[in-house]
Amino acid sequence: MTTETSNPTASVTLKDLQTENPRWCTACGDFGILMGMKRFMVDKKLSQITTVNVSGIGCSGRTPNYMNTYGAHTIHGRPITFATGLALTRPDLQVFIHSGDGDALSIGGNHLIHGVNKNFNCVFLMYDNELYALTKSQSSPTTRKGHATNTQPSGTFMDPLNAVRLVLGIGASFVASTADWMPDHLAKTLEAAYDHKGFSFVHISQRCPHFDPNNFAHKETNWFSFLTHEKGIAPDKRIADKAALTPHDPSNLQDAFRFAADDRRYFGLFYRDSNKPVYDQIMRDMVKNAKPKNRANILDKFGINDQA
Amino acid sequence: MKESKSLSRFELLMDAGFGAQKAGDILIRAFAKTGRYVYIEPMIPAEISPPPRTRAALSGVIIRVGDFDITNIGNDTDLIISSHEICLDRRLDDDENNPNCRILLDMGNKVGNEDTYEKVCKRMAKAGLNIFPFEIDEAAKAVIKSLGGKGENMYYLGMMSAIYNMPKDILIAEIKITFGKKLVGKILDDNLLLFENGYDYAQKNIMFSFEVQGIAKERKDPMLIDGNTSMSMGIIDAGIKLFSGYPITPASSIMHTLAKELPSYGGMVHQAEDEIAAIGTAVGAYFGGIPSVTCTSGPGLSLKQEFIGFASAAEIPIIIIDAQRSGPSTGMPTKTEQSDLFAAAFGSHGDNTKIVLSVANIIDCFYAPQLARYLTEKLRLPVFIMSDFLIANSYKVIEKPTVNQITDINKIPDFVFERFRISRLPQDIGMVRTLQSAPGEPEKMRRVTGLNTDKDGKVSYSAETNQRAHQIRNEKIHHVRRALSMPEMFGDDHGEVLVVGWGSNRGVIEEAINMCKAEGITSASGMHFRIVYPLPLMLKDVFKKFKRVVTVELAYGDDLKPPPLASLLRMETLVDVQPLWCGATGRPFRPRALKQKIANLIGEIK
Repeated sequence: MTTETSNPTASVTLKDLQTENPRWCTACGDFGILMGMKRFMVDKKLSQITTVNVSGIGCSGRTPNYMNTYGAHTIHGRPITFATGLALTRPDLQVFIHSGDGDALSIGGNHLIHGVNKNFNCVFLMYDNELYALTKSQSSPTTRKGHATNTQPSGTFMDPLNAVRLVLGIGASFVASTADWMPDHLAKTLEAAYDHKGFSFVHISQRCPHFDPNNFAHKETNWFSFLTHEKGIAPDKRIADKAALTPHDPSNLQDAFRFAADDRRYFGLFYRDSNKPVYDQIMRDMVKNAKPKNRANILDKFGINDQA
Repeated sequence: MKESKSLSRFELLMDAGFGAQKAGDILIRAFAKTGRYVYIEPMIPAEISPPPRTRAALSGVIIRVGDFDITNIGNDTDLIISSHEICLDRRLDDDENNPNCRILLDMGNKVGNEDTYEKVCKRMAKAGLNIFPFEIDEAAKAVIKSLGGKGENMYYLGMMSAIYNMPKDILIAEIKITFGKKLVGKILDDNLLLFENGYDYAQKNIMFSFEVQGIAKERKDPMLIDGNTSMSMGIIDAGIKLFSGYPITPASSIMHTLAKELPSYGGMVHQAEDEIAAIGTAVGAYFGGIPSVTCTSGPGLSLKQEFIGFASAAEIPIIIIDAQRSGPSTGMPTKTEQSDLFAAAFGSHGDNTKIVLSVANIIDCFYAPQLARYLTEKLRLPVFIMSDFLIANSYKVIEKPTVNQITDINKIPDFVFERFRISRLPQDIGMVRTLQSAPGEPEKMRRVTGLNTDKDGKVSYSAETNQRAHQIRNEKIHHVRRALSMPEMFGDDHGEVLVVGWGSNRGVIEEAINMCKAEGITSASGMHFRIVYPLPLMLKDVFKKFKRVVTVELAYGDDLKPPPLASLLRMETLVDVQPLWCGATGRPFRPRALKQKIANLIGEIK
């Protein structure tokens, strides 16, 4: 997303963004995402007072409470709907949506489809820890097959839903992937997402040490590649030299699908289409271009005596 | 034989898609222009175009015309024109005819359907109704054929106009206005020809006619409008900038009207992907400080409930318009009911608080959004505007309401408050959280959540903060309770029987009480609530001055289960309120029948 007005204040600091100590578990990946968000806001000099963090329910849903900006911790699965109202009527704001895998793909799946399709201006951060955590370990749409949870104790039955492929399939204009343990890559990904006008989908692999400590081998680099391109997102500084780099032109949708479907993980920019129409812009243009009418005369056309 | 009447009710019954409502609209405009008051209720099937000549296809209009301000669709029907026997048979089931009702039945479909025609005619004869069989003349039939089978409605319009002694030239002018630029040249001429043929046919062949008196008094700025359009215009006048909705009958036409109109007044209509998204977007915009409204009916209300609770907890204003229809579940989408009262007042989970306004008539529809905005922005609680299928779709000639062009809610004029029997709220209303700014204000970063919070907005699970939050939210409701004045009353403030209702039943109650008075029954009074939750504090004292307090409500109730309003009044006052007339028939109540029930009840008491 980009916004229509420049930021009214300069230089926000990490300290400015501090609220209270998050109530996440020790070593939760959400700390990394929170830090990435703050780092990005500081680097990008975003204004606290025009930034709105909107979330649903789950561990991810708590983020707005931990950032000293405006925020709305809404109801389960519906942050996209709430953010739509802000995007439509307050183009001066920077809207970030924080949503988990259950929030975004399960209870809120319908809204994700339509948020992506409407391409309204926001950054959508999908925190994917591959299970329901705040309700104590149930299978989510992205839980890997065979992983035992409290609702599927003999192992999760189905193959996980591939969020990146899903949003590519429904026509997302911006799709990137990053991980909570790569603060540099995360901040750069958010910056690219922010610079894109439209619905910027950012998939974030997120560790859940409490319920699934072995899920992401975050100290290893052999299981993923960074997608690289001059118009893409640079690999994480800290591990760029250790990880595989895969060239990918983010305007190539076919290749984006191929990487999304691969067994190997890819971090970086999958796809960007800067020409997809933006819903909130269309709506505001419609208002701007409508022939203005005087409210004083609003009932005149219903009169029965003055029609010829 | 010309009968002079001060009031008459008649119906046109056809298959869906053949223009019965269009014919009705033209006729009532002509009535209105010649000084009569009119009220029209369309009968609409729940499907778009059910197979013709089936009971499901019944589509039509009920028109009530008189020489005084008509507040409801009234009593028994004096005249029916029916395009065939099946739709007539279906309508006779509703049993809303005057015993002397004249029924003009088009016999044009009889060939091949002799059995059903005979059956229906026998039914009418048995009921003692007067049947006048007729057939559209051959010349007109040829024109209808050339129009692809359309145009019968114009013929029937001609017949109705002649029977009601309406001047032909006024009708012709109205037909031209109505079809405007859409129908020109030969098609318009054909329609006019059909009208004239029908008119002439009735004049020559129908041996009775009615003359409804017009009033001498010139009416100021009369206008013809339906409830949903009036609500739409009221939304614009209230300064609301975002309408967020999802298609559902009968609320949708508000969205249709605003989709065309709102952008010209700086607002937009968002068609959401579902009912939940519709309210979510409206709540989001209001969090951003932009006045917003969502609108729904029936099942849509159930889907919105979680967000309503959230708005209450998070202290975000939101206006929800509920055009009630018959439930539960999909129920009868094109029939009226008042059974969402509890879902509005007590829906969503936990103890969450909201205000429930209702509209008694089409003028209320115009002003209600202003009051709803005032209340929701002052209290930061959800505010409902309860309409219903009947009000949403009925047309009426009204005196043009005052356009207020609201931007600042503090400039809403006094008469709007008086209309809804409430005074302005105190300047400072306590909030759960100190910070209530919309994004963009420095040093006031507001973070809302559905979790319980302390006064600084911090999530808190302590006994003290949770109890405090509940007290503050409920105190908001108490502010409204205290601001409510005496509800509207018809008749004396004491007596034998008090008949109480809300929403669209106002007109029926008023008319029934007037009928009682005219017949010398002075011990019955009526009461009507426009704000139905919370209720005013003096109710118990008012109720005590009557031997019996009874309700009239379009919702199910029986001996063991009082209907919603009666239940609410019992709960709030501990008075033994019983329903006098309740039911889920989907049909509006009739004042004469209500008067009879009141008279019977008074007889029982004595």
